[in-house]
Amino acid sequence: MDPSVLTTLKILLIGQSGVGKSCLLYRFTDDTFNVDNAVTIGVDFKMRKITVDNNNIKLALWDTAGQERFRTLTPNYYRDGQGAVLVYDVSNRDSFTCLETWINELNMYSTKPNIIKMVVGNKIDQERRVSREEGIAFARRHQTLFIETSAKTKEGVHMAFEELVRKIINTPSLWEKPEDVNVVRCNNENSAPEQSYCSC
Amino acid sequence: MMDVEDVLNDVVSMDDLKKFENEYHKQLATGTVSQETKFHYAWCLVRSNYPADIRKGLILMEQLIKHEANDDDAKRNYLYYLALGNSRIKEYSTALQFIKAFLHMQPENMQAQNLLNTIQKKMEADAHKGMAVAGGLALGISAIVGIGFALAKSMKK
Ligand SMILES: Nc1nc2c(ncn2[C@@H]2O[C@H](COP(=O)(O)OP(=O)(O)OP(=O)(O)O)[C@@H](O)[C@H]2O)c(=O)[nH]1
Ligand SMILES: [Mg+2]
Repeated sequence: MDPSVLTTLKILLIGQSGVGKSCLLYRFTDDTFNVDNAVTIGVDFKMRKITVDNNNIKLALWDTAGQERFRTLTPNYYRDGQGAVLVYDVSNRDSFTCLETWINELNMYSTKPNIIKMVVGNKIDQERRVSREEGIAFARRHQTLFIETSAKTKEGVHMAFEELVRKIINTPSLWEKPEDVNVVRCNNENSAPEQSYCSC
Repeated sequence: MMDVEDVLNDVVSMDDLKKFENEYHKQLATGTVSQETKFHYAWCLVRSNYPADIRKGLILMEQLIKHEANDDDAKRNYLYYLALGNSRIKEYSTALQFIKAFLHMQPENMQAQNLLNTIQKKMEADAHKGMAVAGGLALGISAIVGIGFALAKSMKK
């Protein structure tokens, strides 16, 4: 692996169909916006490098489909996710109401108990049906990060991913390699540290 | 964590494969398999690490696409996975046929463009490795290519 890259993080995009997950993804990775973006088939995937606090980090971004017909298989992508972006549409009350279901599903299938979650209220360029305060209250209740965005105008999009990554990096247990942990543990257990290196 | 560089490295878990395989065979035993069950099983198969599974998944996807030839949404789903599965067994030119057929139906689709780019990158990488992707298509493969061409043609109408 590229030595200048600190780590690769698996980030999930989750939420009801049509809230703008894919538009957020493509705004972030390609700086494009598609007015008639089609529903995602199963999952889409993109890589992107990001620099946060002088650390180069690779993001493996998994954009899951919100559509009903893919629901039975998408939760299996939640495994090993270190960060999750839970998206609703501020102009669609229903998408906010059902966010509870999505967060429950994530908690059920996620294999990392301390996965960092971020609630994102998207489409703030449109007429609101959900206030910022309601969004913050939901995020507080579920102990997640919170931000509002517009994939259309770019507002908040980069900041959302940056904040999420920063929080993950500040939680080393989420991304430190098991090999590194082994080396440390081995050194600690061994009374002659010089000799222990080769056996690990 | 493993280093996933593109969507082709997305591998199904053995648990999922087993689960949806069981469901499929249970229905098969009763005589009728629902399109949904078949799709779930095929979706797992094309993401398997074993080429034999992937080929089996591709056959199921072809059955599905023929059965739902009038449903554009469904057809796009199957074309996408036909392209993905073929790329995963390095049948890149066949994969291209399918993803191009998809983009013919919906040129602006970013997910399909993303897969097209991925396939083209893989082809280039392989060409550099000196693995000429030329001639010698096995019989079974050319049959699949045939479907790709037929689909592309029928979509132009
Ligand atoms: N006005 C406005 N429209 C947006 C914004 N983000 C997305 N959209 C629109 O919402 C539609 C759906 O967005 P997608 O990104 O495809 O939705 P999705 O959440 O990926 O949906 P699934 O893939 O079905 O789960 C797009 O066609 C955009 O036109 C935004 O910030 N503002
Ligand atoms: Mg989408």
